Amino acid sequence: MANSKKYWKGLEQLNEDANFLASSQNEFPEHLPVDEFLGDAASLESSSTSRRDFLKFLGFSVAAASLASCETPITKAIPYINKPEEITPGVANYYASTYFDGNDYAPILVKTREGRPIFISGNNLSTLTKGAINARVNASVLSLYDNNRLKNPMANGKDSDWNTVDTAIKNELANSKNIKILSNTIISPATRSILFDFAAKEVHDEKGFVKGRQLEGWVQYNPISYSGILNANQVTFGKAAIPTYNFKKAKTIVSIGADFMASWLDSLMYLNDYAQTRKPDNDWMSKHYQFEANMSLTGTNADVRVPVKPSEYGAIVAQILNKLGGNVSADSTKYDDYIAKVVNDLKSTLGESIVICGSNDKNVQILVNAINNLLGNYGKTIDLARSSNTKAGDDAELVALIKAMNAGEVDALFIYGVDPVYTLGEEFKSALAKVKLSVSFASKLTDTAAVCKYVCPDNHALESWNDACPVEGYYSLAQPTISKLFNTRQAQESFLVWKGNTTPYYDYLKSYWDKNIFTQQTSQLFFTDFWNKSLHDGVVEIPTKITDVAPFNADLNIAYTAIKDIKSGAIEIVLTQNMGVGDGSGADNPWLQEMPDPLTKVTWDNYVTMNPAEMLDKGYNINLGQEQLANVVSVTVNGKTVENLPVVAQPGQAKGTIGLALGYGKKVGNMIEATGKNAYPLVSLNDAGFSYYGVATLVDVTMEYHVAATQTQQTIMGRDSIVRETTLDVYKKGNKDDYNPAHTLLVHENGEAIQKNVKEIDLWKAQPVENIGHRWGMTIDLNTCIGCSACVTSCISENNIAVIGKDEVRRGRIMHWLRIDRYYSSDHQEVGAIGETHEKTKLAENIGGIAAYTQMERASDNPQVIHQPMMCQHCNHAGCETVCPVAATTHSNEGLNMMAYNRCIGTRYCANNCAYKVRRFNWYNYKAYSKFTEVNPSQDDLGRMVLNPDVVVRSRGVMEKCSMCVQRIQAGKLEAKIASTKVQDGSIQTACATACPTNAITFGDLNDTTSKASEGKNHNRAFRVIEEVGQQPNIYYQTKVRNLKNNEA
Amino acid sequence: MSDKKIYAIYDDDYVLLESAKHLVAKGVYIRDVFSPFPVHGLDPVIGLKRTRIAIAAFIYGMIGVSLALTGMWFFMIKDWPLNVGGKPNFSIFTNLPSFIPITFEFGVLCAAHGMAITYLLRNWTLPGFKSRNPYPRTTDDRFVMEIHTHDNEVSEEEIKSLINETCVLEIDVKNS
Amino acid sequence: MHKEAVIREPLILGNDVTYSKISDDVLHTIEHAPTKTWKILMTIASIIALWGVCCILYLIGTGIGVWGLNNTVGWAWDITNFVWWVGIGHAGTLISAVLLLFRQKWRMAINRPAEAMTIFAVFMAGTFPMIHMGRIWMAYWVLPLPNQFGSLWVNFNSPLLWDVFAISTYMSVSLVFWYIGLIPDFATIRDRAKTPVSKLMYSLLSFGWTGNAKAWQRFEEVSLVLAGLATPLVFSVHSIVSMDFATSVIPGWHTTIFPPYFVAGAVFSGFAMVQTLMLIVRKAMHLEQYVTIKHIEYMNIVIIVTGSIVGVAYLTELFMSYYSGVEYESYAFINRFSGPYAWAYWTMMTCNVVSPHLFWFKKLRTNLGFTFFMSIIVNIGMWFERFVIIVTSVHRDYLPSSWSMFYPTWVDIGVYIGTIGIFSVFYLLFLKYFPVLAFNEVKSILKSSGERYKNMSDEDFKKLHPVKKIN
Repeated sequence: MANSKKYWKGLEQLNEDANFLASSQNEFPEHLPVDEFLGDAASLESSSTSRRDFLKFLGFSVAAASLASCETPITKAIPYINKPEEITPGVANYYASTYFDGNDYAPILVKTREGRPIFISGNNLSTLTKGAINARVNASVLSLYDNNRLKNPMANGKDSDWNTVDTAIKNELANSKNIKILSNTIISPATRSILFDFAAKEVHDEKGFVKGRQLEGWVQYNPISYSGILNANQVTFGKAAIPTYNFKKAKTIVSIGADFMASWLDSLMYLNDYAQTRKPDNDWMSKHYQFEANMSLTGTNADVRVPVKPSEYGAIVAQILNKLGGNVSADSTKYDDYIAKVVNDLKSTLGESIVICGSNDKNVQILVNAINNLLGNYGKTIDLARSSNTKAGDDAELVALIKAMNAGEVDALFIYGVDPVYTLGEEFKSALAKVKLSVSFASKLTDTAAVCKYVCPDNHALESWNDACPVEGYYSLAQPTISKLFNTRQAQESFLVWKGNTTPYYDYLKSYWDKNIFTQQTSQLFFTDFWNKSLHDGVVEIPTKITDVAPFNADLNIAYTAIKDIKSGAIEIVLTQNMGVGDGSGADNPWLQEMPDPLTKVTWDNYVTMNPAEMLDKGYNINLGQEQLANVVSVTVNGKTVENLPVVAQPGQAKGTIGLALGYGKKVGNMIEATGKNAYPLVSLNDAGFSYYGVATLVDVTMEYHVAATQTQQTIMGRDSIVRETTLDVYKKGNKDDYNPAHTLLVHENGEAIQKNVKEIDLWKAQPVENIGHRWGMTIDLNTCIGCSACVTSCISENNIAVIGKDEVRRGRIMHWLRIDRYYSSDHQEVGAIGETHEKTKLAENIGGIAAYTQMERASDNPQVIHQPMMCQHCNHAGCETVCPVAATTHSNEGLNMMAYNRCIGTRYCANNCAYKVRRFNWYNYKAYSKFTEVNPSQDDLGRMVLNPDVVVRSRGVMEKCSMCVQRIQAGKLEAKIASTKVQDGSIQTACATACPTNAITFGDLNDTTSKASEGKNHNRAFRVIEEVGQQPNIYYQTKVRNLKNNEA
Repeated sequence: MSDKKIYAIYDDDYVLLESAKHLVAKGVYIRDVFSPFPVHGLDPVIGLKRTRIAIAAFIYGMIGVSLALTGMWFFMIKDWPLNVGGKPNFSIFTNLPSFIPITFEFGVLCAAHGMAITYLLRNWTLPGFKSRNPYPRTTDDRFVMEIHTHDNEVSEEEIKSLINETCVLEIDVKNS
Repeated sequence: MHKEAVIREPLILGNDVTYSKISDDVLHTIEHAPTKTWKILMTIASIIALWGVCCILYLIGTGIGVWGLNNTVGWAWDITNFVWWVGIGHAGTLISAVLLLFRQKWRMAINRPAEAMTIFAVFMAGTFPMIHMGRIWMAYWVLPLPNQFGSLWVNFNSPLLWDVFAISTYMSVSLVFWYIGLIPDFATIRDRAKTPVSKLMYSLLSFGWTGNAKAWQRFEEVSLVLAGLATPLVFSVHSIVSMDFATSVIPGWHTTIFPPYFVAGAVFSGFAMVQTLMLIVRKAMHLEQYVTIKHIEYMNIVIIVTGSIVGVAYLTELFMSYYSGVEYESYAFINRFSGPYAWAYWTMMTCNVVSPHLFWFKKLRTNLGFTFFMSIIVNIGMWFERFVIIVTSVHRDYLPSSWSMFYPTWVDIGVYIGTIGIFSVFYLLFLKYFPVLAFNEVKSILKSSGERYKNMSDEDFKKLHPVKKIN
């Protein structure tokens, strides 16, 4: 029956009161005085909130919102009161920007979370670098949060404020005639124009009319100088510039002492192109010869590597030129048979080769130019017309400047972007003392800043606006991804201010682009659109037509005679830069200090590298270990000495030479003493420029030194299922069993013995993995992996990996989830060469099995090298999972080996039972324990800001390991879900994959048959490390193929 | 007439045993014997039934085994199956090999402890309990028979005289 | 009257032995004030023990990093000591259980101190798996407890979890076995006690034991069944401990021979430790009459046998590593005897394989001094066996890139020495306040195996113990 209940709103309704009935018809039973209020102007005026005010409030709140967005990030968790519209908590923003520190140039993408930049990867839109970055670029995000940065301007060594400093400097400038600027190479057009304005002055003719402006004093200086090349090009082509190289087209690459993958010139512009030519599946694979003294990263990737002394570089170049038929009557060298091969290949690849030399000697470079000219490489693989601006430092100018300073002719010196007191030492310091007004823009109290009168700390690159023009017609922009952390000011702005120009640099930059760059392009109609697009992309490429250089013209014999009297010696030194610290820019970065050197695997030190054979002669210890200490020497090069350097064995180091890395000897974090020794004093500077080679004398020091190496075993011990390598001709023959045979076991099935692939052998009915949902995995191409270690730092910054310092590293407790294993070949066993196990046993029979193994531990004097990124293999049959008593590590149904930190009780059983030893245990409470306060940035509030909020910081006593960036996988899946598509291949990238400059690492879904990863997995070269153990990893590697004939040296 | 306890005290297990045989032959019912260590061969003489404590132990053991198995089945297979190292956990049989050790251990655990507890309870020996042996030296070097007059038709004197035929050290009579 | 064959040597020497004398001899230490030597030993032991406790506290307070472990060698002294102690803990229950089943009467003189050793040793062993955890405060997570995280259970596939059950079962069952045996002896002490305090203490400890026929009947049954349960337990425990290694993938660990090999090793080291202790106890407490040369000799024979088994196991391992043709496996063993830890391997070999065979000479195996020396050697050897197995296998496994060495720190050493100290403290307390021999059981074999009765004809025996009064 229908519900007949009736509810009254009140007695009125019950009594059916008349007014009630009437009013109940209206929307509002009671009368609202709206019209009266709005109608009556008087009351409206009198009311506190007028429309006007309301708009004011509105305006303010918007302003507040936008202000809040550039608020200094606060480490305390405070919710946004007014949420800035572009920041969604938990969602990352990416900004295109540019990294240039005078050494490396890279367009970058900066990942920010809640307004904090936390991760730097390459910008793939750039055709120069194609997204390549190296460890230094990647780790630079940490230096932003360095607590030792200057927080205020300084005057006479005391903290000050900008007004005081500005007025003081302006006054002093007023009565100083000779003003000089000493900077590193400036590739920012806007900055160049500012500096030009600043350093130039008007010239008047005799009548007093303005004749024009001339640049009075602006010296660019590269601690690692390339003026040899600049001058050589000046001589041979009439253009003092650095050419751009196109490795993509180079079928033959000959490098004489040029480490072009790690440090030489614009290495980041070469890496990706070089890698393209190293793929054996393409129709051609480049042949790479390397003549060098110390084993460089480039050398390890060369097909043929010849150890030579640096004093012989010139001779070798000359001989190549000679054999090529250049009109130079060069003497024969020890290496003529190699040179013959080189010449042979060069002749067969005319116009498709690159010959480069690392020497900073003008004459050598002239001959190199001659060779390339002879081969017709100019305009094809080498382009001098469209030259690179990144290394403009001219040594002669520097020498002149120092002379002038010593003569007291310099009244004011502005030092920007360089640390000359550190790199040039006492000479410069004393000269600087004679300068009345000395201003440094150092953002830390560097050696130079310490002795300068004023320090006007520059912003960090990630706090700054800037632009860059590394190569003619190729521009990129840098935009701030966080507002200033401290009371610093961008150098450009300082210059403007002192010139009396109050426009902020941002406006200046914008107008500069409006005037100069917008005009060159045609794609955009309006500047605003152009500007926004440029900001968004980060790079603008306007390859305008440029005038060609003059034809080659030089007297080679003069050059050659000059080369002939290059001093040689019993022990020659080569001063190098290593991957982490570079020319010193990375020296104060804990991540880079703890990143093992790609070759020696030594951290937190620079050291003398020497050939082990020679070390044994000298009775030095060649095996480093926790308690196996290094011998110590003092090195003297023309009068200057660096004391107490440990000696580290470097197989492949040319006999009679030693190597030593520059850039060390700075204090890191809160450490009391400097890390390593400053080797710059050993760089000799004369009128010909800097020389990074020299004749050295060693003096033994009776003192033993702990060196912290992460890998103490040098060779592969003849194990051919860890890394696999073959030669190109064997590979091209195409018989998989020759270079990548499957692992088989002898099994008995229904009465007969058969060889069965281990993949098919299983003790139990396993959990299904094939073709069920996702199965995340990786393929890593050992051919294109050059061992640069960018992935290592990238992993550190993505996954909040603790820095543990030298002592703990020495104890074999490095926390890196991703390490790069380096194996040298031994005389008794090539690295991972297939099918030579029986050779090994034959040898074993000859010299007795045990002796064979002992000898196998020694690397050859000039070994072949292989780099193998090693991280959790995410085995389907993981040993670690089975043994965990509390099920803290189990397998996800997406093929991931998961680690539940907060369930782990720390028995370390999983780590013991991991065949790959990739699990890392938190031995201490790294984020709080006093031992790590000095080194671990995440122990101070500022350093903690770099932590990735998506990844938990592990506590003491738990196990951790590579999670295959599960946080990124989840994010990617979420995006796909929102877009309601299936996860697109390549839409998810692990940190290591994004960082890899050569794209050697491919991450993807192995169950997705179309994905790149599964493509690589099914490739003929694909193998899994120690597959015969049967743990069925989800990481596949691809056999390394060297461009050699079989049994070719 | 009230029940009397007659205690025949010996200083040697062999003598006690022989004497017990003698008395029992004479139709005397021996209620109990107190000795510092087990006197072998005595139980049948004084008519003690074999203890069933071993059977109890077996039952406890079986309980333990089944508990362990059902527990592991529930934890690993029913309640929250996990992919641990790709090992199968589809049914208890696929997973059985790795269950065996704990099943065994737990069975032993239950058997041993269950039996021990039963043993202590049946002997009425638990911390703080009073001992009921008539003479302190029965736990050292004395062997004592306890004979109740109620249990026997023959009179107290006769029992005494029968005991006196054996090489008894001392006869003591207590009212209960 | 049942008597053993005369050719069997008597297990209780002396013609003056009576039931009360046995009690007097054994309970002498309990019923008299502690001697000077005892006090001195006790002081030393407690100082070492205290040191050990401090090291453990420092370890727990700071982190596992204070040990010498590293990414490659995740276990070293901790698990070495654990296995070593567990091994030692095997003799006791083996003696009291297996020998009981085999009706070996000579066990009665040594089972009590051996069991005490077992319990304290297993207790020491138990501490290592606890303190070696990174987060010991979460140790209870190894138990399948319902928890606030919902359905979060333990992993029954993990040998480490099997260990948890094996060790705890073994510990508690041995304890029960030991204590049930102790109750009647406590009763004796209670009834002999003079001072009210000790009377109270021991009457508490003795649970009010009465010693009537039924109780004794149950007592014997329980002992028998417990022995029956404990025997497989003894073997299972060390088998399971060995599975920690045997079920792994590490070359040198992954070996099916481990269970029997470990059990043999355990008995081997256990008996050695019993020797070490018994020789001291026997001398210090004048128990030569009950713990005779014969006992020592029997134990030495067990040591020869188990030592030989261990030796065979070592050689089998070596052969299999060669015969398998697996290069990792073979290298693991080549590395053992020729690598950086060769010295440890050869120490192990000499101590465990070579030296026990000196016991083939009766002169040596009946020589107390030599036996004592050997017992120490064997214990050293067995410690090194575990060290060799654990460290030298894992320090150079599959990927040469992560090969490394292990160097112990002062904390490693401190904890190890400390546990020896703690063990000694417990043992000294046991010697002072507990009946060192199962003397009531010894009484029960006096007639069958006592020297006095053995040399006595039945007539003399009847004369000595007349049943009927001659009126």
